[in-house]
Amino acid sequence: MSFLEILIRGGDEGHHDVTQTPSSFLPEGYELLFGIPASLLVFGLLYKFAGPVIKKGMAARTAKIQAELDAGEAARASAEVESAKIREAKGDIESERRRILADATAQADAMLAEGRTRITAEIAETEAKAVADIASAQSRVGDELRAEIARLSSAAVDQVVTGSLDDATHQELIESFIQRVGAQKAGARK
Amino acid sequence: MSDNRIEGYARGLFEIARAEGTLDEVEDELFRFARSYESSDQLRSALTDELIPPAKRQAIIEDLLGSKATSTTTQLISMVVGSGRTRDLPAIVDNLVARASAAKDLEVAEVRSAVALTADQQHRLAAALTNATGKKVNLKVVVDPSVLGGIVATVGDTVIDGSVRTRIDQLKSRL
Repeated sequence: MSFLEILIRGGDEGHHDVTQTPSSFLPEGYELLFGIPASLLVFGLLYKFAGPVIKKGMAARTAKIQAELDAGEAARASAEVESAKIREAKGDIESERRRILADATAQADAMLAEGRTRITAEIAETEAKAVADIASAQSRVGDELRAEIARLSSAAVDQVVTGSLDDATHQELIESFIQRVGAQKAGARK
Repeated sequence: MSDNRIEGYARGLFEIARAEGTLDEVEDELFRFARSYESSDQLRSALTDELIPPAKRQAIIEDLLGSKATSTTTQLISMVVGSGRTRDLPAIVDNLVARASAAKDLEVAEVRSAVALTADQQHRLAAALTNATGKKVNLKVVVDPSVLGGIVATVGDTVIDGSVRTRIDQLKSRL
């Protein structure tokens, strides 16, 4: 049974059961007669009174969403700017790192060169001092040796001379002195 | 002690010795005692020790000289020691010797020898020094072992050194 047959036959049934609707789909005719205008009235009233509110709410929601979109766009732009700054800063940091490394390398090279120069100078100075000390020690030892030889020689001379000075030698020395002095003339000696 | 005080003491000793008529002998004995005093640390410390009473020090003089010197010499030295002038004794004696020599128109010749000289040697040495210096000398012989050998003669400012000690010192300086 088509939909149209159902609509047509609905009103023609002789044994109509009041507990059953004439159509399983459509209401009663009189219900349609009052229901449609009432529905239209309700819709009209809704359109008249609720429509502006709904429209206003929708506009507000649209504006809010647009504002959120704008804020998101602004945040994205700001993030991009910040990102650019960070990338720039990162580039600066890299160049600063390279500069610091270059400075540190240069300073290390300078210190190394200076240290080498200083150590070389200190080594030369130490060598010179060692040579001087050795020479001084040699001289000192030589002097001490000469002094010791002189002392021993003096002692040997003393011992030899005093040992050989007997009475005859004393008398010979005295007589020699008297003769030598006697041979001098007054004013001749300085 | 000042020079004036030394001269005063020397003049006093000189006058006493001359008055006693023993100037030559006293002069010689004083000279030899002065040299002994200079060369002996023990004698010097004994006679200059302030802790020893002067009477005790004079007794030491008496014991030392006794019969070896004239009584005038002993008394003169005791007088100097008793007056507390022991340290100036050599200077006083040298002044006295110079004064005595000058009185006789002589120049003091101090002769240092390691051994004693005989009278003949002293006579010939005095003549030799007179010949060499042109001055009559009053010979004063000092036995000084440090000379080792030979003689060192000093006449005024003139020193004639013929000692073994000096020759050894010269040799040592060369060494």
